[in-house]
Amino acid sequence: MMSKILSRLGLCCVLMPAAVMAQTSSPQAAYQLPRAVHSVLTDIVPVGTKFWMAAGERGHILQSLDGQVWQQMPVPLQSNLNSIYFTDETHGWAVGHDASILYSGDGGASWQIQQYLPELDKPLFDIYFKDPQHGIAVGAYGMFYRTSDAGKTWVNEFHLELASEDDQQLLAELKETDPEGFAAEMSSVLPHFNRLYADGTTLYLVGEAGFFAKSQDFGLTWQRQAEFYNGSLFGITRTKALSLIAVGLRGHVFRSTDQGLSWQQITVPSPSTLNSVINDEQGRVYLLGNAGTLLFSDDDGQTFAAMNQQDGKAILNAVVIADQLVLATETGIKTIQLKESKAL
Amino acid sequence: MSTSRFINKCEYALFRHRGFVILAFIAMTLFLLFKASQIKLDAAFTKNIPLKHEYMQTYLKHAKDFGGANNILISVCDASGNIFNPQFFDTFKKIHDQVYYMPGVDRVLVKSLFSPSTRFVEVVEDGFAGGPVIPADFAADANGLAIVKQNVDKAGIVGRMVADDYSCAMVTAQLQEINPDTNEKLDTIAFANQLENDVRGQFENEQISVHIIGFAKMVGDVANGAKGVLAFFAVAIAITAVMVYLFSKSVTLTILPIACSLIAVIWQMGLLTVLGFGIDPMSILVPFLVFAIGVSHGVQMINATGKNVAAGLDAKTAAQASFRHLMIPGGVALLSDTVGFITLLIIEIGVIRELAITASLGVGVIILTNLFLLPVLMSYVRFKPSYVEAVSAPTPKADKFWRALSACAEPKVAAVILVISAVLFAGGYYQSKQLKIGDLQPGASSLHEDSRYNQDTFLITDRYAISVDYINVMVETDANGCTFHPIMDKIDQFQWRMENVPGVQSAVSLPSVSKTINAAFNEGNVKWRILPRTTESLVQSSSRVETSTGLLNGDCSVMPVILFLNDHKAETIEKVIAEAKKVGAELGTDTTKFMLASGPVGVMAATNEAVADAQDPMTWYVYIAVILLCLISFRSIRATIAVILPLYLVTVLATALMTLLGIGLTVSTLPVIALGVGIGVDYGIYILTNMTQPLRDGMPLREAYYNALKSTGSAVLFTAITLAIGVSTWVFSALKFQVDMGILLTFMFIVNMLGAVFVLPALAAFFWRKNR
Repeated sequence: MMSKILSRLGLCCVLMPAAVMAQTSSPQAAYQLPRAVHSVLTDIVPVGTKFWMAAGERGHILQSLDGQVWQQMPVPLQSNLNSIYFTDETHGWAVGHDASILYSGDGGASWQIQQYLPELDKPLFDIYFKDPQHGIAVGAYGMFYRTSDAGKTWVNEFHLELASEDDQQLLAELKETDPEGFAAEMSSVLPHFNRLYADGTTLYLVGEAGFFAKSQDFGLTWQRQAEFYNGSLFGITRTKALSLIAVGLRGHVFRSTDQGLSWQQITVPSPSTLNSVINDEQGRVYLLGNAGTLLFSDDDGQTFAAMNQQDGKAILNAVVIADQLVLATETGIKTIQLKESKAL
Repeated sequence: MSTSRFINKCEYALFRHRGFVILAFIAMTLFLLFKASQIKLDAAFTKNIPLKHEYMQTYLKHAKDFGGANNILISVCDASGNIFNPQFFDTFKKIHDQVYYMPGVDRVLVKSLFSPSTRFVEVVEDGFAGGPVIPADFAADANGLAIVKQNVDKAGIVGRMVADDYSCAMVTAQLQEINPDTNEKLDTIAFANQLENDVRGQFENEQISVHIIGFAKMVGDVANGAKGVLAFFAVAIAITAVMVYLFSKSVTLTILPIACSLIAVIWQMGLLTVLGFGIDPMSILVPFLVFAIGVSHGVQMINATGKNVAAGLDAKTAAQASFRHLMIPGGVALLSDTVGFITLLIIEIGVIRELAITASLGVGVIILTNLFLLPVLMSYVRFKPSYVEAVSAPTPKADKFWRALSACAEPKVAAVILVISAVLFAGGYYQSKQLKIGDLQPGASSLHEDSRYNQDTFLITDRYAISVDYINVMVETDANGCTFHPIMDKIDQFQWRMENVPGVQSAVSLPSVSKTINAAFNEGNVKWRILPRTTESLVQSSSRVETSTGLLNGDCSVMPVILFLNDHKAETIEKVIAEAKKVGAELGTDTTKFMLASGPVGVMAATNEAVADAQDPMTWYVYIAVILLCLISFRSIRATIAVILPLYLVTVLATALMTLLGIGLTVSTLPVIALGVGIGVDYGIYILTNMTQPLRDGMPLREAYYNALKSTGSAVLFTAITLAIGVSTWVFSALKFQVDMGILLTFMFIVNMLGAVFVLPALAAFFWRKNR
């Protein structure tokens, strides 16, 4: 099957009509449909204390005023969205595939496209603004964009210091000897940047193949840390007790009590990939992962217990709203009563 | 008059050579009895399909690559609620193998945990790992089962091949209409029996239950239930015999019409075999209807003859006179029935056409047996003086009754009747507009809700995410369509929009699976669940999908979007189809077309549409035929209207009754309208024939009607009641559709009679104003 299709590839690309190609550059507005609330949702965030926002596939952005009823917002594109971030109750951004960046200046009610680059065929995975003017968006293959004007312009940045030492050397050589090879290498040498996390003045970036870096100057310069794991990291957070918890592929959880200099692996009772880590006001740490994995710790992440979801659906992220844990899952919003599950 | 000359000739030929006529009938009956004894139940999936419908053209076009809609689902459940035990896996493997080797099964498409195409993939640090869900070295011990359980989860087949709660596992198979090796047609009923005996019979026990659904099994269960139909026939014949005896007060006169009617049934079945047809389980009730219509006309014949004998004629002269008298009304009525059934041929669905042939043949034969043979046989009857005395005795009670009834022809009474009729018509007409096309309940509508088949259907819909209620929208595009992002994206958009249509439970297509595979290639990260824009990456994810999944053909120029529906209620189907057409038209282009439709529900949608399209023309044709025949026989427009209007009232009321009983218009209920007209027209014609001549001669209407009632009224009343009692026993049938038919026919028999006795004279009161 594969070889059959591959063998026809040469032919197919020639036959591909130019008009079809051109279509991809004019985005189509997301469908407003009732099942959007049951579609793949990748991110969920509180916005101040007023409302909550969630984002997901097909350009779905949802808003809820009470954490229970979710309403789909009109979005001018259909790309899958991976992250949503609000600096305050007015200004918000969402990023996703096709290197899309969406902006809302009215508390999520309407969205404008700030960036849409389908020809790149690369996703942005996370976005963070330190104030309504200055933000960073990161994504696959080391994609890195910065804005200083609230996203009116987004500038691509390449941070050589984020490549491994070997790769840095290789690139340095290529720059001298083979400019073409250098360009090609540049676009693939960096790992996927999966998550940006800000803690005071420190910015943490985690990603593919154990990638972990810190910046003290809002991402102008980075310090890549020694790898403590060879698999991908997907989430990181600082707990109430100021430890760092990083989670990743196949149930890997790491804890650092020295700002990420040294890490200790925590064994958890589930082998599935973990997508996000969050804490609540009481300092409880939640890990959210594939196959319905939901783990929690009441000892600052030293040990975890499972309250896995029977439906086995991937959980991408979550927020705590009053007594409830509201999950963004591959089948949409799901609400868990915490009072009950704590008793378990 | 040429008609009477024709009757004279017939009469002369029949009664001059009575011995010869009887011999010929005996010879023919013996021959056809022999043929009838070879008749087989014959059911085929394709017969239930409107093959010329555009959906079915799409279905047939792609049946080679994607299989048909004729599939079976076998869910094997463990009583403990957990399938992961050695006994279950041992039995389940045996069932898989049993199904695999059953003739008629397309082996490539047999799927279960044990089929080699059931595989899983998982993401590990250095890429992919995967293999068959049941490993080659599988041993049914605790360790082996634990591995299989993990693999089942990784393979994402929970809800499809394994029940949501792990209490059951499924074997699915598709049937081949024609065996490719022997070129023989699949014997659906034999196949169903094999399923029952070799799968359920062999493997079901206290620990393990076997639940089988699918067209073949449904027909098999209907055929089994149809065996009970024979018992109902016997009961109905017995009831009819007793009633006829009470009516005729003579054993001979009881035996003759019943025997002649049975001969008609024998001829019908024999002729079917001669013509190369079997009898479809759905047409199993037709022989009884033939019998019923036969009795109806036979009773008219013995009634007329009895009256003639009472008037002092000898048996032969009396029989001859009855023949002369009833040849026209009986012939016209039966011809109307025949034509009514023939009109069903316009519906391009095999079973209905067979029903048209079966029924029109049967009714046509009654002309020979009950209008020709019966009077000839009656001419031999030796009427005892006591009988003559009995029938010629004055009947003051009955006369009084008829006298009272004849008041219907009085203008004042008539006006009241007509107002009531008009109200009924208006109400009925309004209600009849609510008639729904197709099945209104989940499960198989031919079977009772508590039948094993429907219980199994409910169990499967309950425990799995999928059911047999799915529709395939075939996306036809250029070769290698799955390597182009714009095409795959369109299909994906189509799927998403359809998933949002109420009634659609879930959907799957190549793009939706490719997206999951693309995520799997990216460490199982849900955020990568996209269709890559570059062809290289798209190929990577779509090429891992085998054609055996039914999601693409060899060069992926055809990719179905499979929509699983909540049920197959007509309403659900209609909505989904309408939306699919709309969205398909919106997203489709010249090179990427969204074609409806395959899959079991695609077939149902086509059938529903064909039935809906046929409903009005069929009613019109039936009525045009009946009107023409009435015009020819009465040579009077007002007489024709007087017969037709009550008939139409009953048609409307019967349709309203269907809506009230929750019976949808389906392949099995569509013929009811034609049947109703066929049965109803008899009464009107018999009554009015006795009135037209006296009315022409200037007899007052009430007097003419009174005479008609006296001569034929008792036969009309009696027939209606007898047949109604006969069919009303059907409510005890094991077949839901026989129950439905029983109720509808009982209604038709009774209400048509009421229409002929009350509404017809009331109309006449206004049409023959001079006859006062």
